[in-house]
Amino acid sequence: MFDLAIAIAVLGATGAVPTAALDGLVVIGELTLDGGLRCVPGVLPMVMAAAARGVRHVVVPEPQAHEAAMVPGVEVLGMRSLAQVVAELRDEPVPEAAPVAAMSSSRLLAWRGAGRMDEVDLADLVGMEDTRFAVEVAAAGGHHLLLSGPKGSGKTSIAERIPGLLPDLTREEALELTAVHSLAGALEPGDGLRTRPPFASPHHDASTASLVGGGSGAVRPGEISRAHCGVLLLDEFPLFRADVINALRQPLESGDISVSRAQESVVLPARSIVVLAANPCPCGDYHADASVDRCKCREVQRRDYRRKVTGPITDRIDITRHLTAARPTARRDPLAVRESSAEVRERVTVARARQADRYADEAWRLNGHAPGPALATRWPLTPAAAALVDDQLWKGRLTRRGVTRVHRLAWTVADLAGVDQPGVTEAGVALRLRSGEPLLAATLRKAAG
Amino acid sequence: MSAERLARLALSRLGEPGDLRLAHWVTELGAVQFHDALRAGAELDGLNTELAARLPSVEPERDLERASRLGIRWIVPGDAEWPAALDDLEHVEPLHRMGRAPLGLWVRGPLRLHELPTPVAVVGARSATTYGTDVATELAAGLARAGSAVISGAAYGIDQAAHRGALAGDGPTVAVLACGVDRAYPSRHKPLLDHLADHGAVVSELAPGCSPTRPRFLARNRVIAALSLGTVVVEAAVRSGALNTANWASGLNRPVMGVPGPVTSAPSEGVHQLIRSGAASLVTRATEVLELTRPAGEHLVEPLRAPSRPRDLLGHDEQRVLEAVPLVRPAPPESVARTAGLGLVEVRASLVELRRRGLVEELPTGWRLADDADQG
Repeated sequence: MFDLAIAIAVLGATGAVPTAALDGLVVIGELTLDGGLRCVPGVLPMVMAAAARGVRHVVVPEPQAHEAAMVPGVEVLGMRSLAQVVAELRDEPVPEAAPVAAMSSSRLLAWRGAGRMDEVDLADLVGMEDTRFAVEVAAAGGHHLLLSGPKGSGKTSIAERIPGLLPDLTREEALELTAVHSLAGALEPGDGLRTRPPFASPHHDASTASLVGGGSGAVRPGEISRAHCGVLLLDEFPLFRADVINALRQPLESGDISVSRAQESVVLPARSIVVLAANPCPCGDYHADASVDRCKCREVQRRDYRRKVTGPITDRIDITRHLTAARPTARRDPLAVRESSAEVRERVTVARARQADRYADEAWRLNGHAPGPALATRWPLTPAAAALVDDQLWKGRLTRRGVTRVHRLAWTVADLAGVDQPGVTEAGVALRLRSGEPLLAATLRKAAG
Repeated sequence: MSAERLARLALSRLGEPGDLRLAHWVTELGAVQFHDALRAGAELDGLNTELAARLPSVEPERDLERASRLGIRWIVPGDAEWPAALDDLEHVEPLHRMGRAPLGLWVRGPLRLHELPTPVAVVGARSATTYGTDVATELAAGLARAGSAVISGAAYGIDQAAHRGALAGDGPTVAVLACGVDRAYPSRHKPLLDHLADHGAVVSELAPGCSPTRPRFLARNRVIAALSLGTVVVEAAVRSGALNTANWASGLNRPVMGVPGPVTSAPSEGVHQLIRSGAASLVTRATEVLELTRPAGEHLVEPLRAPSRPRDLLGHDEQRVLEAVPLVRPAPPESVARTAGLGLVEVRASLVELRRRGLVEELPTGWRLADDADQG
């Protein structure tokens, strides 16, 4: 990481290169034994940090020049060898050098199906109106989501369509996300800024380090950071190890993750929409409807499994939906309307713009990230709606944390409907979304315009 | 016959659906004579004064002509298409001072009302939940696949879910409206109503162009109930119109059925009350509706039973022995016999039989439950 910088510093101290040329210069890269440069992960965030401190000239290994150049206002020099750098600094003709190998990428580990994200569309799914509305709310307000249902009920299909409902990333978000990917070494030369929300779906045997970040040597961002501004799907999440699930608690609340290591503590952004998908039992064939129930699990197994679903983690989830197994009926319904992702994205974009206006002077952009006290004092529900939510608290159907989540959801429902303050209707919808109760058909009708 | 059709049309134009006095005089005098009497200015209990304002504007021939241009037909009792099931309304106590059979029906769509196969009404709340609409859709699809026609209104919520289920099940489906069959009410349901007019039937007592009113919905409900062999209510709050339809079905002595919901759900409260009061049978799926609406004994539903497990097939002694075999640490037959309270000879015999069935295993130190023995 600092090889090149150390070498240049020594050369400067011994007078081999003029020190004047080193003023305001940042050099990044490793050296090979024959004096060639080697790529390093995290060029983008380093250049961003340098630019933030007023640095205007950067030297990086050639394949990473493109990445460094994403930072506005910085002049980037891509070099192949130490000799080239020295020649450049001395203002001499630059010698030939062998091209630098691009970083051996961890692309295979990242992005399960990143390219596929453009091909999946909400229009492919039939029925599921209830869940469609829920993911629209999740997308509009940045709310976490728990989907439970038997195998084949479409949990994964609908979850991987959520990124398609999100608007393009803002420039700021794009830089943050691309910086994380640079740090993860998941950026190929020629890759531009990531402008579309990412989707990550780690397997359930993932380690804590791979999910939230860490690892030996330099800190590598975990899947949750790679899904920053996008969607992180934990499919069959009760099968994840307990310590992995617990490590998610902090990022779910705060939107960032601090990875502490022997020497350093790094804070990485981790503000994604987390989607937890769970089967109703370990075998996945349990149906509440006895006529189609084919579950082979023992009652003890089911109980253990359900205990994992309802824990501290689910209290941090805004929306719960219970999906039923897909029936042929929906597919054969001649009057079914199949909205495309683009149509929903339009409504989501409008709802997000309303939030951006409202929170213009705040540190957050979406209802899902708004702190509870601020909502309670400055953006309250109507008195009648507040009374409705309060009633649920008294009845013990809602925790204190749940009240805040309902409040945030009510705002998103209002923003989608173009309502200026969440009233009884919006709070009612929010309560249903939170508790997992089925929505009112009228809610879905209004949503579809 | 033509005179009868025209007279009934004119009379239906004069009064509101379910008007008891109109029905009374039609029975007393016959539709043609009653209509002539009104036109001649006969008072007939003050009816004339009340209807006089409407009399001059009624032009039944023009109505018929305009309707046929729109592909709408007018059917009356005595027509081949007239569904005889409606005549049962003549013997039902009025509700909300409305009742009796309709004077005639306007029909739009290819379905013939006298040929509806074992029709079932599926009705419920407009303010339904997605649980209710899903259940209504599945129920209607199941009925359609079993060959039943589905009858409902055209409201949001359960009504439309029922029609769409029936269509998905490739079955005939009929919407009964409280306005003219050429009107789309609610207007969002125009695609649904147009589809029904192409593939099913849209029916109303009210002439084309008429708009819906509250009393017209109440009168309409009796037609839904009377066209059907039975009425299923899926989600209805305590004041839902669907309960009115259920009352009509009760009055007609036709089966009333209710689909339960979560006990905490307001849109299911009306149904729960209906079931609690004994007015409705609880149904959860199409086969249970068929059991109640098809000829007795044709569609008996087997009571649901827990699946039988290997240990259900064991004899009395074997079960006692199995209960006495330890789960983890093997026990000798003597110990098992003590626990089971049975003789050693029976226990040895039972253990061998249980091993044959794979429920227990023998180790050098004794017997214990087999690993995969069903614990339930």
